[in-house]
Amino acid sequence: MSDSPVTKHGANSGEAPAEASPQEQKQMEQAYAQMKRKMSMAEIGKKIKHKVMVLSGKGGVGKSTVSTGLALALAQQGLKVGILDIDITGPNVPKMMGLDGRRLHVESGRIHPAQGHLGVKVISMAFLLDNEDTPVVWRGPIKLGAIQQFIGDVEWGTLDYLIIDFPPGTSDEPLTVAQSLPDIDGMVIVTTPQDVALLDSRKSITFSESLKVPVLGVVENMSGYTINGKAAPNSEVQIAGPAGKTLKATTNNDGEFAITIDIFKEGGGKATADEFGVPFLGALPFDPGFVRGGDDGVHRIVSEPEGPSAIAFAGVVKALQDQIVDGDQPGLEII
Amino acid sequence: MSEEMPRLARFERRDVDVLLTYDTDAEFTITYDDLRHACPCAKCSPLRNEDESSKTLRRQVESFPKEKPQVRTVGNYALGFEWTTGCSSGIYRFERIWDIANRRDPDNGKPYVHGAW
Repeated sequence: MSDSPVTKHGANSGEAPAEASPQEQKQMEQAYAQMKRKMSMAEIGKKIKHKVMVLSGKGGVGKSTVSTGLALALAQQGLKVGILDIDITGPNVPKMMGLDGRRLHVESGRIHPAQGHLGVKVISMAFLLDNEDTPVVWRGPIKLGAIQQFIGDVEWGTLDYLIIDFPPGTSDEPLTVAQSLPDIDGMVIVTTPQDVALLDSRKSITFSESLKVPVLGVVENMSGYTINGKAAPNSEVQIAGPAGKTLKATTNNDGEFAITIDIFKEGGGKATADEFGVPFLGALPFDPGFVRGGDDGVHRIVSEPEGPSAIAFAGVVKALQDQIVDGDQPGLEII
Repeated sequence: MSEEMPRLARFERRDVDVLLTYDTDAEFTITYDDLRHACPCAKCSPLRNEDESSKTLRRQVESFPKEKPQVRTVGNYALGFEWTTGCSSGIYRFERIWDIANRRDPDNGKPYVHGAW
């Protein structure tokens, strides 16, 4: 730290400056680093046009899948995108982005993000773990410091979108980010259609009010699983669905049929959005390809860019972009 | 790009091209074919890497009926175009439109590899 102002001046005029004790010196260096980080965070806020937080009240609803999917769908449009994986204790964005085992590059005290599919820049705690089986057991203040470092010390460059993926729940992490990163556009709440997830999503929506960060919308994940099959042309096909329901479809002239099974019920995400008066951004199908893709490091959107899941993500992204209001380009007349 | 980009004030869709007016009163035209050929989406961009595939993309774009697109603003930074035929995926940042208007390569001469320039 050669550039830190770490000499202590005596209180009385005329007295020669006294040397700071090692402990004082360390404290001053920390304070200086913190100040530099705050300035850097403000600067980063200007270079990143849009910052979107992705949260859910409940775990296991596919938040990281949605975060990576949003980032890739935006990158497919030719935009510059980054993902900040704030899930300190369970970081899995790098694996989904094909960056497993990658190390971060640090130059002049600045951390350079890794680049995944479609040029998406990624920062995650996973890059700092020697062994992916190592648990991160950190208390609040240490987590807070790490998050601030991930925001302030990272060389993102200019980005159109920064997607911030959080751990489930309404705890320290979103609070720290909302207080550290200026001009956050808003948050996307991810849910699955079942009642427990919806209950927790409602908490997230209420949480947004206390953070003073607007809700950009609700995304319903794992919304329905579509079975495609073949049988005799123009015949009726029956499938035993959940809860003893019989699902029927009629085959076309080629004998093809498709039936969608609502594994976790349906429509709950839209109902929650309607209840709280926030936008519903869309529903994403239950797609086992996400599990395989996540494990293999090839995201579904990359492996099947024109598949149903990619199309669903494109719809969600369009709805999201519609929610992000005009600012710097007022009064554009389109004729 | 070190120059200061003026603010796009007016976007007038005409029969075969668009007339852009910036807040400096500077006016530019971009043909719809040029606009579509410069689509920044992940499907169209790699096609511009090689001369041959770029020409194929150009021929494809020119074969589409000449139509006025639906235009929407995307956030505060870009425009999106909806065409009845062909690709409507690209989000055109204002910087990109400025480059196309000034007859500059909007990809800055860089090939599109693995989803990035």
